[in-house]
Amino acid sequence: MLQFKLVLLGDSSVGKSSIVHRFVKDSFDELRESTIGAAFLAQTIKIKDTETQEDIDIKFEIWDTAGQERYKSLAPMYYRNANAALVVYDLTQKNSLSKAMSWVDELKSKVGDEDLVIYLVGNKLDLCDNVENRGGKEQEEEENKRVVTTQEADSYAKDQGLLFAEISAKTGQGVKEVFQTIGEKLYEIKKPELLAKKNREYGRNSSEAVDINIQRPNTNDPTSCCS
Amino acid sequence: MSKDETTIKKMLVDHKIDGPLAAKGFGPKYSLRSPSVPNLHAKVYTEYNMSDPTVGNATGGQGTSINEEDGTLSVIDMYGDDDNDIDDIVSSRAINLGSGNDDGNDADDLRSSTQSENIFNTTSINNSIDKPNGTGTGKNVQQDAQHNDRYGFKKQNNSISESDYDRWWLDYSKYCIRRKHKWQLLLEKSGLPIVDDSPIRFPPKSEKLKRYVRKGIPAEWRGNAWWYFARGQEKLNKHKGLYDKLLVKVDKMTSQNKNDKTYPDLDIIERDLNRTFPDNIHFQKEVFQNGEPPMIKSLRRVLVSFSLYNPKIGYCQSMNFIAGLLLLFLDEERAFWMLVIITSRYLPGVHDINLEGVNIDQGVLMLCVKEYLPEIWTYIYPNHSDTTVDTESNRRTMSSVPHKTQSSMMKNNFLYKLPPITLCTASWFMSCFIGVLPIETTLRIWDCMFYEESHFLFKASLSILKLSEHDLLKHTKKRYHSSSRLPYSITGSNHNSSGDLLNNKMHQDENDMEIFQVIQTFPKKLLNPNDIFDKIIFKKKFSFNRLDQEEIDRCRKYVTTQRNKYKRYVELIGNDDKTSEESSATLVNKENLDKTQDADDIINGALSSEVYGFKRNLTGVHWNNSLKEKVRQMKKKIDGDE
Repeated sequence: MLQFKLVLLGDSSVGKSSIVHRFVKDSFDELRESTIGAAFLAQTIKIKDTETQEDIDIKFEIWDTAGQERYKSLAPMYYRNANAALVVYDLTQKNSLSKAMSWVDELKSKVGDEDLVIYLVGNKLDLCDNVENRGGKEQEEEENKRVVTTQEADSYAKDQGLLFAEISAKTGQGVKEVFQTIGEKLYEIKKPELLAKKNREYGRNSSEAVDINIQRPNTNDPTSCCS
Repeated sequence: MSKDETTIKKMLVDHKIDGPLAAKGFGPKYSLRSPSVPNLHAKVYTEYNMSDPTVGNATGGQGTSINEEDGTLSVIDMYGDDDNDIDDIVSSRAINLGSGNDDGNDADDLRSSTQSENIFNTTSINNSIDKPNGTGTGKNVQQDAQHNDRYGFKKQNNSISESDYDRWWLDYSKYCIRRKHKWQLLLEKSGLPIVDDSPIRFPPKSEKLKRYVRKGIPAEWRGNAWWYFARGQEKLNKHKGLYDKLLVKVDKMTSQNKNDKTYPDLDIIERDLNRTFPDNIHFQKEVFQNGEPPMIKSLRRVLVSFSLYNPKIGYCQSMNFIAGLLLLFLDEERAFWMLVIITSRYLPGVHDINLEGVNIDQGVLMLCVKEYLPEIWTYIYPNHSDTTVDTESNRRTMSSVPHKTQSSMMKNNFLYKLPPITLCTASWFMSCFIGVLPIETTLRIWDCMFYEESHFLFKASLSILKLSEHDLLKHTKKRYHSSSRLPYSITGSNHNSSGDLLNNKMHQDENDMEIFQVIQTFPKKLLNPNDIFDKIIFKKKFSFNRLDQEEIDRCRKYVTTQRNKYKRYVELIGNDDKTSEESSATLVNKENLDKTQDADDIINGALSSEVYGFKRNLTGVHWNNSLKEKVRQMKKKIDGDE
């Protein structure tokens, strides 16, 4: 089993906790208490190795954080050593996208890990027009609350090299896929490193000398730093 | 059914309009009867509420089945603690048990509960709702009462099932009744009147009163008692009329533009209003279909007023819960002043814009854990002790080894690089345990906080951590079974490849998270407050029970200066990014790692000359006691021999 640390960041009440709960417990509460400090949850998913078709278990250790600006000073403790970050904004709140952008900036400047997977996520798709499953009747009753266009966020994400999706924690639309994609992406990134580690451990068990030899190819390993 | 909803609504609104107090001549300003949700039957801000459509509609409505008597029910009455029942029980109990045993040894609660079992069996607490005067509405309320506690919170949550709750409440409600009786006797003895089951004055501080408070203030009296012990009236008298002035401003602000950019707090408050106790009926929209629940309106006014009153704090998430809980027990104005008092006296700086106060308190808590709960400290901060692998043996070494040899553990860089667990414990302080512990347990801690000042919050935290020891141990055992390698077996640095360092770091992170998870979920299960009080707080053997306010204040000062010093050193060294927490994730480069460690050493060297010393002046008492016990046993033995 592989374990990855994932952190959720974003403005207050964009739905960070709701996304986590949809993913971990597959449930949704219309009114969820505001998160104080941080909450920690874990969830395991399965992905397939594209070459061997082997099932791989991926365990996400998820840090759900409080959204208010002043909690920002605590954020470094959450994203320290994180493998992935879900930067969430609210499709119905213009301001939340700029907050998300400043989180992306902070992650890029402070984490400095090139392998960090950043996923820009627009939440509350259920309140927006382009919901496939919505009947015509409802559409008339409920107004479209979208203020952030798909294109706007998408082009920003492309520009910054982020993954991007619009989801709904309420209906569940797109939530699983986001985590699935992150899992696959991280596995892809970490695979060479894992293989190298396997080799190292194998070498260590047989003899010290072999160990040194096997370690040599590791210079290609992005996380290795012996030079 | 909507009919049910309207009746409940009507009931609640009625309380608000002409609550029992107005009728009883308690003055229009606010009532001193304190039971929960005085908002709904006490202080009426006429100028604000008259325009409230909820009120108008509801009173204009007809077909209500509520009679006069219902109007005098407080919310607590509705949910269980029916006064008549209490009186009945109290009087019969007084006959049965006599009233002389309230003094000194009242630790007999458990025993007396069996004695008086027969009395309580005949008066089931929940039966009060079935009484004839509630025929029409009783059923509706009862339905709610089945699922909600006496404060309106849902009994069930992720950690506690409704049947667990009911089982606990069956016993605990009896305990509450016994305690209330003792309080009544105490007040009577002290010559303090209890008007309308709502005392406004309490006896002067004493060991006895402290014990009473620790055993729980009667729920109906809580608002008044908190107000009294926190010296709220003093504060209010100094600022007479201020709250009303603030309200005028608030009214202008909120009616003008809710998204006013010049008051960013306003927007954040607005977003949190409906996320404050969404499972408490008094905060729920459904009950008040015609508009916002009065409780939400009060909450908005209190929070916005506060942000105007104290711009240094403004609004900080978590204050919504504190204010919300206060509003369940006090009228709006008093709730406001209590919020002022809590954020300044009990939780100084905790809600400030930079949250430094909460970091300081976490530093203090960590110092206390290290000093008083070394066995827990090894879980929380294992990376700096040498023998972290075997916690059992470690515990022994920690307690027996004199302090000098613990020098490696004496380094106090954990004061500025707080252990990850503090991300969890920080919320204990920010929300004053609301949402961390089940509600009754939270309230019991609040009782003590107002009586004993803020050091009680540390005692409570230490108690929770101590109680979680079993779960922590279970977790580590499981862990050692499942993994062949030990998490903190850091071999000699010479043999360490960077890969090993990384691995160790990963294992450490993993461990931190598992510890975090235990500490995060454990308190939610502490349904019975007496688990904390009887098992820990009342036990002399736990040395942290000797902590007092002076010690905590001294500790806070020390941590504050240490953290400031650290900040200055970091500035001096000039590579903030490389030494601070945030970039350690990127320290893949060994050179960098060494640099960081160097910097750490310099800082530690400079700071570790100053080590916080807890007062140990009372340890002698303990020693004396054990000596006394030994002498007694020897005497016994000699006597026996003779």
